[in-house]
Amino acid sequence: MKGYHDIAGDGGSGILEQVAQQRARIADGLAGVRHLVAVGSGKGGVGKSTLTFHLASALRVRGLRVAILDADFNGPSQARIAGIREALFVPGSHKVALPRTGNGIGVFSMGSLIPEREALAFESTAHGESHTWRATREFALLGEILGAFEWGTLDVLMFDLPPGAERTVQYADFLGSRTSFVLVTVPSEVSRGVVARSVAALSKGPNRVLGYVENMSGYYCRDCDAIKPLFVSPDSASGLEIPRLGTVPFDPELARRCDQGIPFTELAETPVGRALERVAQQLMDSLESTTESSR
Amino acid sequence: MKFLCVPCDSPMKLQSVSPPESGSLSVVYACPECGYEMAMLTNAYETQIVQSLGVRIGPEVGTQASNTASPSSSGCPFSAMIPGLASGEAQTAQSADAIAVRWTAAAEARLAKVPEFVRPMARTGIERFARERGAIEVDEKILEAARDFFGM
Repeated sequence: MKGYHDIAGDGGSGILEQVAQQRARIADGLAGVRHLVAVGSGKGGVGKSTLTFHLASALRVRGLRVAILDADFNGPSQARIAGIREALFVPGSHKVALPRTGNGIGVFSMGSLIPEREALAFESTAHGESHTWRATREFALLGEILGAFEWGTLDVLMFDLPPGAERTVQYADFLGSRTSFVLVTVPSEVSRGVVARSVAALSKGPNRVLGYVENMSGYYCRDCDAIKPLFVSPDSASGLEIPRLGTVPFDPELARRCDQGIPFTELAETPVGRALERVAQQLMDSLESTTESSR
Repeated sequence: MKFLCVPCDSPMKLQSVSPPESGSLSVVYACPECGYEMAMLTNAYETQIVQSLGVRIGPEVGTQASNTASPSSSGCPFSAMIPGLASGEAQTAQSADAIAVRWTAAAEARLAKVPEFVRPMARTGIERFARERGAIEVDEKILEAARDFFGM
C-alpha cells in the first residue's frame, strides 16, 4: 500500500501549493531588503518598541532606508509612537503602500487599523480553543502582510516582536535564517534571566543574535544633567553571553514624546540621543560584518 | 492530508466542497480508478485550524476579487476557504454608512491586494477619505490621492 510520500500532490485541495505560494510571495516582497533585524527580548515591558522606533530613526538620520513591521499584533504600539494612528492602507497597482512617518520611515502597525480600546479578534467557529489555532492565524497574517505591502528597496527592515521567549523563537522560525536578532533587557536579574532563555532558545537555530541592548540603564535627570541609577544590579556585565550593543538610559521626555507620537530627532544631542546613536552604529557594524563574512 | 483508495492503491481526488454547516465542512474525494467516493467531515476545530493557515480548499474559480474577499466582512467564516463562496463584501461594508460610496471595478481590483483580514478596515478608511473630499465613488484617482496625502 502506498505511503504518504509515495503520493504526489494533495488530491486537489491545493493546500500545499498555496503554502508554497505564500512563502514565494514573502521572499519576493523582501527581495529588496538588505538586512532583516528582529528586536525581541522574551521579557515584556523592557522598551522593545521604543528602542525599535528610535533605532530606526537613528538609522534614518544616517540616510538609510528603513521600515518597521510591528509584529506585536495583539499589543501594537508603533502606530502611536510613530504618529501614524490615522494612516490608511492604500492599495497601489501592484501592492499596498506602506504608511510613512514624516522623516520617511515606513511603518506597518495594526495600531493604524484597530483603535486602542479594541482587541485584535479573529472570527472563528471553534469557541474556547483559540490556543490550538491562534498563533497559526497570526503567523498567516504576518505572511500576508509581508507579501502584500510595498517594502521596496530597504537597507533595514526592523521587526518589533511581541514578548515571550517562545514567540521569539517562533518568529525566528517563520522569518528564516536571513533575520538577525537584537535582544533588549533592563538591568535587572529578572529581565536578564528571561533574555538568557531567549538567547539559549535562539542558539539552537540558524539565526544570528547580534547582541543585546541594556535599556533603562539609569535615568537622565534633566535638572542635574546627569545619569542616575534606576535599578540596583549586582553585575552590570549582565552574564549574557552575547555582545552588548550598548546601554540606553531612560529619559522621561522620550517617554512623553513616544506617547504623543512626536519625533525624537531634535533630542539627538542628549545622553539618550547619543546612546541611541552608539547603538545604531554598533548595530550597523554587526550587520555589515555579517554581510562581509557571508561573502 | 491525502486520501488513498486501499483496494485500488490509488490516490483519491477532491471532487467537491460543500457549504459549511454548524462549523463543519464536507469535502468529497473520489477514487479515479473505481469511482468510490468518501466524504471528509471536519469538526469546528479542524476547520478553524485549516482556515488559520490562510488557505482555501479546492481549485480557484471565478474572479480574483471574489476569491480574495474577506471572510469577516461577508459574515461567513468559511467564505475564504471555498472558492466562489465569498461575495457581498462591498455591499456589507457600504451598508454601514449613511452615504454609500461606490467603487469602480479597477479600484476594487486594487483593494483585493490588501490582506483579507485588514481589508474591511482599509475599505472603510478609504471611503471616509473619499467622502471628506466630496467624492461618492472610489476610483484609481482617489486611491492615488490618498497615497499622496499620506506621503506614500
